[in-house]
Amino acid sequence: MMKQLLRVLLINLVLVTGVAVVSNAESGGENRIDLIGKVVDHYYLDFKPLATVELPRLIYDNGRVHVYRSTTSLLNKSERFTDAGYIDAEPVIQNGKIKPATYQVVRTDGTSPQFDFSITSHLVFFWVAALLTFLIFIPLSLKYRKGIGRSSEPRGAFQNIFETLVVFIRDEIALQNIGPQKYLTFTPYLLTVFFFILFMNFFGLMPWGVSSTADITVTAVLALFTFATTQIFATRDHWKHVFWFPGVPVPIKFILMPVELIGLFTKPFALCIRLFANMASGKILIMAILGTIFIFSDLFGPGVAYGTSWVWVFLTLFVYLIKALVSFIQAYVFTILSALFIGLAVADHGEEHAH
Amino acid sequence: MELAYLAAGFGAGITTIGAAVGIGMIGKSAMEGSARQPEASGDIRTSMLISAAFIEGVALFGQVVCIILALS
Repeated sequence: MMKQLLRVLLINLVLVTGVAVVSNAESGGENRIDLIGKVVDHYYLDFKPLATVELPRLIYDNGRVHVYRSTTSLLNKSERFTDAGYIDAEPVIQNGKIKPATYQVVRTDGTSPQFDFSITSHLVFFWVAALLTFLIFIPLSLKYRKGIGRSSEPRGAFQNIFETLVVFIRDEIALQNIGPQKYLTFTPYLLTVFFFILFMNFFGLMPWGVSSTADITVTAVLALFTFATTQIFATRDHWKHVFWFPGVPVPIKFILMPVELIGLFTKPFALCIRLFANMASGKILIMAILGTIFIFSDLFGPGVAYGTSWVWVFLTLFVYLIKALVSFIQAYVFTILSALFIGLAVADHGEEHAH
Repeated sequence: MELAYLAAGFGAGITTIGAAVGIGMIGKSAMEGSARQPEASGDIRTSMLISAAFIEGVALFGQVVCIILALS
């Protein structure tokens, strides 16, 4: 009985969702899902049926900072623009209806201002994730400093949940890849990176949330931190391996030098691209699958779109679950590769050679 | 312009084939390895994930090139 009820409820839910999407498509071309708009960064927070919160705009140009409460107020104060002499606003997306919140600021001659520090949705969720990391782990570390969890059992569900993850990072990632002498130096960094990326990824799974890791600037900065850590803590052996590879004939040393030098930079570059592409592709995939409904509506009429919409909605659910898995795996992969690169750089090779 | 779209589509497909072959081979060897030596399956899984991540990285470079082609 209960099972049947649940099934009916589920089917209804799916049908209603499908119908809602399709009826949105029928009411003219302007209200269609803006696929790129869902994927790229924008200047507003989207709480769709409830509200759209526009974010402040900060533009720095030629020594002056222009601050506006929102994009709409920026557009309304066009006199102040001519005052500044060279700033104008231009919409990012030019199809159909343009929301004011997607406007990008450009000078009147078409070039972009020196710095656009405008707060974007990715940045907001970046901050939220950072705050969450702080709020969870600083009380947790204070607890361990007091001795709870070290000399006694960990107390409470909260500490127990995170202790399993923390111990996993320490023992399976840091210890395995960096080695028993130095792993404790880098465990804090690896823990921070792991949980920060994990929280950012998980915000992409929440309704109205945006995963900041689907922004290449965020992942580039994270990769830069790993790169800096690797280079700062690198031993003499590491540099010797880069510039004068030991144990091979001299001509080979000259071949290996540029290869190793390029390898130094491709490692963080790959880290950056991997995280970004994985998180962005999840979003694009979901939007593309939902877009199939609209394509069917165009090709075979709305009836077919109604009938088949549940297939795509279920497929979206499946992709969503994969996304949840991927957001965990990518945080793990980023951390383990960071640990691996750091471990390679800080290892004292001595006499034995691993490679 | 239209040729760029064609190239992007083909490029994405070919990159995916390469990545699929690579990751498939890793999965095959990892499964064989852990079937022969179940006690080492933890270590094998870790190194499997690392090598899969490297292959994925190369494949993603290709995909990024394709996206740039399609958006240019």
